[in-house]
Amino acid sequence: MDSILNPPSPDSNPSTQFERDRHVRFLEMMYQLLPSEYQGQEINRLTLAYFVVSGLHILGASDRVDKGGVINWVLSLQAHPKNEAELNDGQFYGFHGSRSSQFHSDDNAVWIPNGSHLASTYCALAILKTLGYDLSLLDSESILKSMKNLQQSDGSFMPIHTGAERDLRFVFCAAAICSMLENWSGMDKENVKKYILNCQSYDGGFGLMPGSESHGGATYCAVASLRLMGFIGDELSKSATSCIINVPLLLDWCLQRQAIDGGFQGRLNKDTDTCYAFWIGGVLRILGAHKFIDEKALRQFLLTCQSQYGGFSKFPRQLPDIYHSYYGFSAFSLLEEPGVNPIRVELGITDVDAIGL
Amino acid sequence: MDSDSDEEEQRVPLSRRPEWSDVTPIPQDDGPNPVVPIAYREEFEETMDYFRAVYVADERSPRALQLTSEAIHMNPGNYTVWQFRRLILEALNADLHDELAFVDLIAINNSKNYQIWHHRRWVADKLGTDSVREELEFTEKVFSKDSKNYHAWSHRQWVLQALGGWKDELAYCQQLLEDDIFNNSAWNQRYFVVTRSPLLGGLHAMRESEVRYAVEAIMAKPENESPWRYLRGLYKDDAQSWINDPQVCLVCLKVLNSKTNCVFALSMLLDLLCHGFQPNQELKDAVDALTSDSDSDSPDSNLAIEVCSLLERLDPMRMNYWKWRKGMLPALAV
Repeated sequence: MDSILNPPSPDSNPSTQFERDRHVRFLEMMYQLLPSEYQGQEINRLTLAYFVVSGLHILGASDRVDKGGVINWVLSLQAHPKNEAELNDGQFYGFHGSRSSQFHSDDNAVWIPNGSHLASTYCALAILKTLGYDLSLLDSESILKSMKNLQQSDGSFMPIHTGAERDLRFVFCAAAICSMLENWSGMDKENVKKYILNCQSYDGGFGLMPGSESHGGATYCAVASLRLMGFIGDELSKSATSCIINVPLLLDWCLQRQAIDGGFQGRLNKDTDTCYAFWIGGVLRILGAHKFIDEKALRQFLLTCQSQYGGFSKFPRQLPDIYHSYYGFSAFSLLEEPGVNPIRVELGITDVDAIGL
Repeated sequence: MDSDSDEEEQRVPLSRRPEWSDVTPIPQDDGPNPVVPIAYREEFEETMDYFRAVYVADERSPRALQLTSEAIHMNPGNYTVWQFRRLILEALNADLHDELAFVDLIAINNSKNYQIWHHRRWVADKLGTDSVREELEFTEKVFSKDSKNYHAWSHRQWVLQALGGWKDELAYCQQLLEDDIFNNSAWNQRYFVVTRSPLLGGLHAMRESEVRYAVEAIMAKPENESPWRYLRGLYKDDAQSWINDPQVCLVCLKVLNSKTNCVFALSMLLDLLCHGFQPNQELKDAVDALTSDSDSDSPDSNLAIEVCSLLERLDPMRMNYWKWRKGMLPALAV
């Protein structure tokens, strides 16, 4: 308790090692109760749960959660069409982001809105897969069949059938969902590919939408989706001309994002930030180019973002949050930190097949 | 409309407001074993409980609209609240200019929230071309605080493409770049305008003047990556014009001769060589001069190899990359 009552001054030396046990404790606390600062994200509760549960799994501490309880909670958020006719009504039947958008017929409702969301569905499946739930037990037919309703004529996806922004984030969610369910009937792959290629910018990175500025997160969504769909492999071992995207420019753009302080920036001439160590580090891993980064410098940068209370912050010496913590753990996994599980980078979760269950 | 803090100080719980006495709030049913429960604040919980009640009752009324305002203030990420608000606005045939003012207010503290921007687009789309000026000005207001706000740039690109307003866009990019030549979002917007504006004739027509602009920016700050990438982008899918344009190798030469901040010039030179560019003696001499400045290296008969060696030394963070590039050379550019 002393350290909480008397926090050291902000410029005190950061720890020189990855503090796994503190990170586990931090996530355990978040698992018990998220502070009220997270209330504005309540609609994405499944995403918050994904950061905590999958984060514990990356740290090799998934025994800290009540697996059966978590699995049942996740399953309870799935939206089910009442019948075949409803499945074809244009709505998406995936997972609700939280209980707050899920309604039952006993709520004196004149209608029962369906708030299923692609990102929540991705997070639901990611948690279930991480915890060893057999995904073939799911009613995947209704997820995939209704997911097609979300795909637009330009190949992109909107996340919810009532309408929302469309960009590469939801292309990634859709690709990851199909990949985890091992069934690609939920999307028109060729059209998705076309959309992704339209997002590659003049500088080699990818923007969230065609015409947008290259961005680390968007670049991850693009490259991870192409890998999941089987359109790209380990590109560096192939000849440069055979790839559907411009790999040399992409590679150069990614590598130049490692800045002088050792961290990665998400865009040109912006500050470095913990999460891009995963978003861009992940792209480099997919391309087979992770060996080109300065790992020692990156490690040192990440340690300046490691909180003494556990978790990681966005920028050095700030308070941690679960989003940046998750991508900090993932970045250390890419750096092959001992005691941290390997991740399947293009899915954003522990490589459960590799480590066994 | 009151400011946030005023509103909180004066907030009367919904349960004590007479106009809500006929509504039974619906509490969030978190079930027996909730995962990652959130410590909601009292007013947040109450507002959302009332919201759920009007939402499932599908009550599209003025008081429901007011309730969504309160809910959005506390919970701007909740896309269900926003969606219901749109249904109410349509049902009440509300004045959408008032709605833009509401978004202005919410955006002050939430300019990085996706839902706000989607909502803004919905309103602007309904108002049509009349809203162009207001929308462009709205993004400019956001840029005055954060000139790289990704959402605002997306919105601006959508406004231009869907509603128009291209006339002054190149001048606007120019102005932002004068404020900050390192602003890559402004460079990206410049590329967007040059390649997509219906008024400018496209990339090919604009290339010459844009190359001049990029070269000038490079000469002012050769360490600025943005104009280098922009310059390369001006020859997208046209490598032949790129390696043949004397301005491109000239800017590399000038920067190399200055002997400071040479990494991007060397990197471009390497790419040029890999694409079949034939260097002149002056360029070779400039590279040799850099090499002789180091104690360890000696000029190599192969310019591309020499450039890679220089990059290994001048850009040590990416040493393994440049080594790899060097190893790839024989297949490409010897």
